[in-house]
Amino acid sequence: MNITILYGTETGNAEMLAEDIAGELEAEHEVSVANLSDFDPAGFDQGRFYLMVCSTYGDGELPGSAQPFAKAMEASDAKLAGVHFAVFGLGDSEYDETFNGGSKRLAELMLTHGAVQIGERVIHDASGSDLAEDLAFPWASEMVSLASERLEEAV
Amino acid sequence: MSRSVAIIGTGPAGCYLAQALLKAEPELAVDLIDRLPVPYGLVRYGVAPDHQGTKAVTRQFERLFERQGARFFGNVTVDAPLLAVLREAYDAVVLAAGLSSDRRLGIPGEDLDGVIRAGELTRALYDHPDAARLPKLGRRVVLMGNGNVAIDLLRLLAKTPEELAGSDLGPEASEWLARSPVEEITIVGRSPAAAARFDAVMVKELAKLSGVTVNVVDPGTSDEPEGMKKIDALASLAATQGGPKRIAFRFSLTPVAVEGERGHVAAVRFRDGAGAERIVPCDTFLTAIGFEAGADALRRDRLLGEAFDPEAGILAQGLYAAGWFRRGPRGTIPENRTDAQGLAARILADFGNMPQAGSKAGRAVFAGRPAIVTYAGWQCIDAAECAAAQPNRCRRKIASRAEMLQLAVRIEEPQA
Ligand SMILES: Cc1cc2nc3c(=O)[nH]c(=O)nc-3n(C[C@H](O)[C@H](O)[C@H](O)COP(=O)(O)OP(=O)(O)OC[C@H]3O[C@@H](n4cnc5c(N)ncnc54)[C@H](O)[C@@H]3O)c2cc1C
Ligand SMILES: Cc1cc2nc3c(=O)[nH]c(=O)nc-3n(C[C@H](O)[C@H](O)[C@H](O)COP(=O)(O)O)c2cc1C
Repeated sequence: MNITILYGTETGNAEMLAEDIAGELEAEHEVSVANLSDFDPAGFDQGRFYLMVCSTYGDGELPGSAQPFAKAMEASDAKLAGVHFAVFGLGDSEYDETFNGGSKRLAELMLTHGAVQIGERVIHDASGSDLAEDLAFPWASEMVSLASERLEEAV
Repeated sequence: MSRSVAIIGTGPAGCYLAQALLKAEPELAVDLIDRLPVPYGLVRYGVAPDHQGTKAVTRQFERLFERQGARFFGNVTVDAPLLAVLREAYDAVVLAAGLSSDRRLGIPGEDLDGVIRAGELTRALYDHPDAARLPKLGRRVVLMGNGNVAIDLLRLLAKTPEELAGSDLGPEASEWLARSPVEEITIVGRSPAAAARFDAVMVKELAKLSGVTVNVVDPGTSDEPEGMKKIDALASLAATQGGPKRIAFRFSLTPVAVEGERGHVAAVRFRDGAGAERIVPCDTFLTAIGFEAGADALRRDRLLGEAFDPEAGILAQGLYAAGWFRRGPRGTIPENRTDAQGLAARILADFGNMPQAGSKAGRAVFAGRPAIVTYAGWQCIDAAECAAAQPNRCRRKIASRAEMLQLAVRIEEPQA
């Protein structure tokens, strides 16, 4: 499968995780990694599966590197029907009211444009005891197998 | 031969710079030097002990040394002569040494007993090897400053022992806080609330404190959304009531003098926005008003004064500056990252325009230098600290440099 991992980050944790996930998937798939700040929403491709890894900053907001993407999505009426994505969030439950607001917002942006979400959003808690990769690797492989069924059906 | 870079300082500025350099050019020889036997600067010694999530950026920095080939040279203080040696030995040298001296207010009475500065206090609380002893606190504290550091101190002074569970606050500091006589904290800002430096989330976090009663005096209003965020955050504290410690936020007060009695702080005299005098009685005056270079082995003022392009962090041929050392004591961890990415691109572009100047000595200049802590040495310290963690703590920092060195220093044969 062709997979693009898109990350939104403020202090780099999501970027490192995105690269680690790519490392896990590379043996069996064609994988590329991009910062959301360098990604144009017009570039979504129905033939690829998008794994999105995004943190939360400020007060439940998207991190800096996802902000330009969010602005572009808000301004665009692009139809993303047939684009499949899954979201993994990084956050910190110390910020209880806004815990993982960023990844939630990112999923909403995709859904309002008609993209198809695969699986549930899985989130990592920086104040919890799990390492992000211990949650993200199983998440990624599960999402990829779910998506491969869907993408095959679509062809 | 690959180019070599020496980065002085292993805080966020130095580490993010190494990361950006090695991401673009994995072959570079990148060496990170710190005067402490342990890496990560203010991530270890500034970021609050109850914000472990923020400290998790160190997992990225560990990669530098564990997988990306960067080397750590701890327990090496760089002064002007050593800087000259490093400039000879490396293709580029970057000063990312931060700023650690507390700024002073410059008002009478600042040296009375009972005046405490935030940098000094945080170093003592967070077990920095060069810290003085924990000071004596009184019952009534005036906390001057409205940045995130001031809010950190307010929160720590206000927390109950239970609220510090999961942190890495050491046993002495924990005991000191648990037994503190503090009954009242007045936090004072020079600016109106809308222009305060703190982040709104930092203030909102205070709403969770169980042991306080908060009073926000005249927060005013604002036309700016950023200003309103801060005012709204303060308003969210309205329901934080009923606890025994009283916290008051006051704004638009300029400190004029610290008043003393028998050599000890008794009150702080302020002028308000209308020019009227306001006296706030207290027995402890804690200032959190920023940092500067202080008595500085690197002669920062001169270096920046003579810089080619201080904005871009270019001091001279092959000499650069990053982080707080370049920008001054402003900006959080993410700003150092953005900054470092820009500087890395600049350094690599300069390499591209420079002829390859034969092979330089690089890290060989450290050969034979005694008591250098390597990354493996730091891992020994780290493991010992994690293993010694007490109940409800994630780590017990070793505060003594001698003890650190005993764990970490391997006598290595000078390399050929
Ligand atoms: C109390 C406090 C709390 C903070 N809390 C937060 C927070 O919660 N979140 C956040 O985002 N930001 C926070 N900040 C801001 C953040 O710490 C800074 O933005 C950041 O650390 C600046 O990075 P730096 O690398 O320039 O400096 P530093 O982190 O200070 O690193 C400088 C390093 O250089 C070393 N060094 C100094 N002189 C020499 C020398 N002569 N030779 C060799 N080595 C030397 C030092 O030992 C140190 O390791 C806080 C700051 C303070 C002071
Ligand atoms: C200033 C600040 C604000 C934050 N705000 C939130 C928040 O509102 N909600 C949340 O779930 N996490 C929040 N976080 C936690 C981050 O999302 C978490 O540390 C994450 O691992 C950062 O990943 P990144 O490095 O990719 O940006 C915040 C962290 C900081 C330092």
